[in-house]
Amino acid sequence: MPWLDVAFHRALIEAVLVGLAAGLLGVQVVLRRLAFFTMAMTHATFPGVVVAAVVGVDLYLGGAAAGVLAALAVVALSRRRGHDPSTATAVALAAGFALGVVLLSAQRGFTKDLTAYLVGSILTVTTEDLAVAAAVTAAVALSLALAGRVLAYTAFDRDGARAAGYRTGAVDLGVLLLICAVVVTAVPAAGTILTLALVVAPAGAARLWTDRIGTMTAAAAGIAVTSTTGGLLLSRGLDVAAGAAISLTATGCFAVSMLVGRRDSLLTRWRARRPAGTARPDAGRFPEGG
Amino acid sequence: MHAVLIAPFTAPFMGRALGELLLLALLAGVVSVFVLIRRLGFVADTMTHTVFPGVVIGFLGGGPGGVFPGALAAAAVTAALLTLLTRSRRVTDDTAMAVLLVAMFAVGVVLVSRRASYRADLTALLFGRLLAVTPAQLAQTAAVAAVVLTTLAALAKELRLRAFDPQTAAAMGYRVWLLDLTLTMSIALVVVAAAQSVGTILVVALLVVPAATGRLLSDRLAVIAAVGVVATAAAGYLGLAVSYHASVTHGLRLASGGTVVLALVALYLLALLVPPARRLATRAAHRRRPPDAVA
Repeated sequence: MPWLDVAFHRALIEAVLVGLAAGLLGVQVVLRRLAFFTMAMTHATFPGVVVAAVVGVDLYLGGAAAGVLAALAVVALSRRRGHDPSTATAVALAAGFALGVVLLSAQRGFTKDLTAYLVGSILTVTTEDLAVAAAVTAAVALSLALAGRVLAYTAFDRDGARAAGYRTGAVDLGVLLLICAVVVTAVPAAGTILTLALVVAPAGAARLWTDRIGTMTAAAAGIAVTSTTGGLLLSRGLDVAAGAAISLTATGCFAVSMLVGRRDSLLTRWRARRPAGTARPDAGRFPEGG
Repeated sequence: MHAVLIAPFTAPFMGRALGELLLLALLAGVVSVFVLIRRLGFVADTMTHTVFPGVVIGFLGGGPGGVFPGALAAAAVTAALLTLLTRSRRVTDDTAMAVLLVAMFAVGVVLVSRRASYRADLTALLFGRLLAVTPAQLAQTAAVAAVVLTTLAALAKELRLRAFDPQTAAAMGYRVWLLDLTLTMSIALVVVAAAQSVGTILVVALLVVPAATGRLLSDRLAVIAAVGVVATAAAGYLGLAVSYHASVTHGLRLASGGTVVLALVALYLLALLVPPARRLATRAAHRRRPPDAVA
């Protein structure tokens, strides 16, 4: 397809696909408070990518392998005495990232590769990258559609779900693996930081507008896709790093929602704080011009 | 033996790097205990990223000398914004931190990306230049360590109470938000002090792994802190020695900051292996005790 031969067109498609996957899964991340885990994943998959590049294996495979290892490490370390999940997650993050940095520093082109990893290089995506992103997006959408009810149940009432016979451990692991898949797909194009932005900010913003998980998920996906495509166009217009422009668009949406969202935003709280009698400035006023 | 263990550090730049790491070990070893008991792993990670735009602005405005004040200003902004953002019931703490982290980091990247020497600058700012530590930086780190350690020592009792029983702390009239702010600023100061040498991203290891290592070996805060300081100091020494020998003897370039962190993680993994043996010893000690002593 000649249209796909243009780098910017490929970048646009990648932006839409990655935005969809991250936005859809983001609601689960926000509801289950897995933002730090997602952050750790973006860093802990790094050594896998470096090793895969050195050995000559597929980069996605290397990243996924390291991601699964890191997820298992977090689960195992959380059970050690005195280790809460945040400590275990931080240890995995620090260890994984330091390993990646050291491995990479032994190679040539250290600075260039590292920058690409942190900030991403969405303008260099290939058709194969697009295929992987499409597959992961489809897998995320399918999982959410099939297991939406179970996911909501286990997120809000673990004990109840367990008593009802659901295997909460398996569901948790499934969510962690989906996060891992989205991170591994998004990081090469979008960079570590942007990936976190795309997963958390749109879902956090959507939560300030609605209570319904279905609506929230759709809204998060919409906000994420708008951020990726809008940020990409902005970065081309203003000549700034694409990853940073997209991150700032996504976090900008979150900031606006914090201010004027329909649920628990600054605006609604300011309205609620005013006494009932003065709730509407024009209440009780005589009709004018009569 | 001398050639392997001591000779590398006779070079002035290696000696200064080791000095910086020992100071940071003392500082981070103690602060990490509070990070552990307050479960602030993500706060520490957030701080390491949000300080970045301050580092960039300081560097662009005043060269290497501007980095410290710039980072400090960004840390103060982070602490204020975190307090503001976490007031909504619907935005959980971790979501607020993640959004703040990405937003501020992206601002830093945008600022750097407009410079011609974009990539080299970004790498230097993110990963530090451990082997280029100046005497002035050493003095700065020492000053920060003195301020933070004095503050934490003075407030240790209150901070501990706040960590384990916040309701009692509030009921007793302590201003919990002020204690929280003090701790957040202490974490920020560690990040700022270490930003130029270890780099902002690897600081999170210094703020979490030392106490995590100590926690594997003990239940007592003082022991945890001591183990953390010793482990970090040992890791600093080992990491520098390894990266020096790899480079000089084998021609293999290993990033010094990353090698230090890996050494620290290796010590943590060693400590993971200790508990089974130790638990057996404790059990044996229990058995030896006369029954009436077991209350």
